[in-house]
Amino acid sequence: MPLELYYFLSITAVNILLSWALYLPYRVAHLHFITVANMAISGYSAAWLVMTLHVPFGWALLVGFALGALVGWLVSLFIGDAPTFAVVIVGFTFIFIVRTVIENLPAVGATMGIFGLPNIGGNPETHRRIIMAILAGMLLVVGFFLHRFDHTRLGRAAAAVFVDKDLAASLGVDIKGLGMLVQTVSCTIAGGTGVLYGFIYKSFHLDFFTFALVGIAMTIIFVGGYATPWGTVVLAPILYGVPLLFPSWLQEWRIVIYGAVLVIVLVLKPEGFITRRFVVTIESFLSGDRKRRDNPASKEDV
Amino acid sequence: MQTLIAQVINGLSLGSIYVLLVTGFNLLLLVAMIIHFSYPQVVVFSMYISWVVLRATGNNLVLGVLAGIASSVILNLVSAPLFQKVMARRGEVDINSTMVLSMGIGMIITDVLSHSFNQGLPVAFPDNLASDKPIATFGVISIVTGQVWSLAVGIVSVALFFLLLYRTRPGRAFRAIAEDPAGARLVGIPILRTGLYSYALTGVLGGIIAVLLSMLLGSAYPGLGEQVAHKVLAVSIIAGLGNLVGGLVVGLLLGILEAIVQGYVSGSWSNAIAFVVMLVVILVRPKGLFGSRL
Repeated sequence: MPLELYYFLSITAVNILLSWALYLPYRVAHLHFITVANMAISGYSAAWLVMTLHVPFGWALLVGFALGALVGWLVSLFIGDAPTFAVVIVGFTFIFIVRTVIENLPAVGATMGIFGLPNIGGNPETHRRIIMAILAGMLLVVGFFLHRFDHTRLGRAAAAVFVDKDLAASLGVDIKGLGMLVQTVSCTIAGGTGVLYGFIYKSFHLDFFTFALVGIAMTIIFVGGYATPWGTVVLAPILYGVPLLFPSWLQEWRIVIYGAVLVIVLVLKPEGFITRRFVVTIESFLSGDRKRRDNPASKEDV
Repeated sequence: MQTLIAQVINGLSLGSIYVLLVTGFNLLLLVAMIIHFSYPQVVVFSMYISWVVLRATGNNLVLGVLAGIASSVILNLVSAPLFQKVMARRGEVDINSTMVLSMGIGMIITDVLSHSFNQGLPVAFPDNLASDKPIATFGVISIVTGQVWSLAVGIVSVALFFLLLYRTRPGRAFRAIAEDPAGARLVGIPILRTGLYSYALTGVLGGIIAVLLSMLLGSAYPGLGEQVAHKVLAVSIIAGLGNLVGGLVVGLLLGILEAIVQGYVSGSWSNAIAFVVMLVVILVRPKGLFGSRL
């Protein structure tokens, strides 16, 4: 596989997974930016295990998932039912704290980062194949989970919480339990994604986990459409790929372009490009269910 | 003991700036009903505009200050229709989507600053604005011009702001909208126009804060807005969203805490400690210490 294609596909997959990790808690109106901090915690921990203790990559990846889940669960004990803005600020504060701790920890390279991570499987080609296989597997599993989640009682409960928390509570939805569940799953996905993110480049540096990453994920979700996981799948390759075609001077303005696109879409089409109605229409065309196509607000689609 | 006193004085200066920022943030929240997360980024943008004008005019302070205030007002007024449009599209007050919109604006401002001004390097303000020469010294305690100005202007601005809010007709309109927008509309208060006034007023406040921050810090860098934005939102949440008096108390306390930590803990850890304290308070009391006004 050509190197350029490898980087395009793998970073696109990371962007999709990160955006899905943010999408899931947003189903209950939580913008859970702690996911970026979790990527750093799990990634650096896995790299340290591999480099210092010579732990096999597979175990380090599992530790990454577990750490993500643990941090997510612990934090969710406090903010499982917190208002959106409190969840946002906890996420940002976490990013600051994690960055400060890492840049002062010589064991993980401090401001220099960790370089020279070994190839998984011995040579660069096998390394790339394994990384791509794991990312593809994660995309399938997480994508299937999110798709099913939206069609379950839990998904409908989340939609109710998103629209009106008080009404959802009066209907018997366990707001805190649901919030804790989605936050923990989100952080688990982010933990594993963080490990893979660094192993794609075979290095970890604090510049990988900046607020720009939050901005990229936020743009993907809100421009793609926050009501279905499919908007992310469509937008992630476009938002990452199109700027690569720009001349280098314009590529420097990538974040400004993302910000401008985000603002314009929020103003003109706040629900994003891929809406729930659009997905239902496509699904009904594929299944030949004309009744559901004509009435997309049926029980299954709320 | 002298170090502690010196740091408390530093903290009061810094805290007074936080108070101004939180007050502006809360006014927009209560009257315009938006979470303007990137309000501090607007302030930092104004600092940069002041820096450009100061350089271009041979450090003319009056023009530098006026340029800072004007840019803040203009940026706030330009963003107002965007926020209004988002809320109109939603057909309801939706402070969460205004927060996301504001984050988008913040992304643009921060990245423009890191590409267009001084090649992304920090900018230093001239001595006639940000002198670090002490005007009084008591042992290890030295008081510099920026500290005195930020504290004095901070107190005067907050006093004037509360006077405007509680003793004038427009202030009553602001408070009426904050209490009950539908009721305010019913008694003939122009919601849209009053909302625009709040953007303009917080723009003026933002310009003043930009000047004070320039005097106190002596420099600015593109990421400054993001860092301050998180602190302002955190202070606002800890105080209770929209609680003006709570914002005053918590803003001053955060300034003092930060300064004391900086006095005793080295470099980058000091910021982290302030953030840990904020995080713990938010985790334990996510709805604020003084009660939310929303």
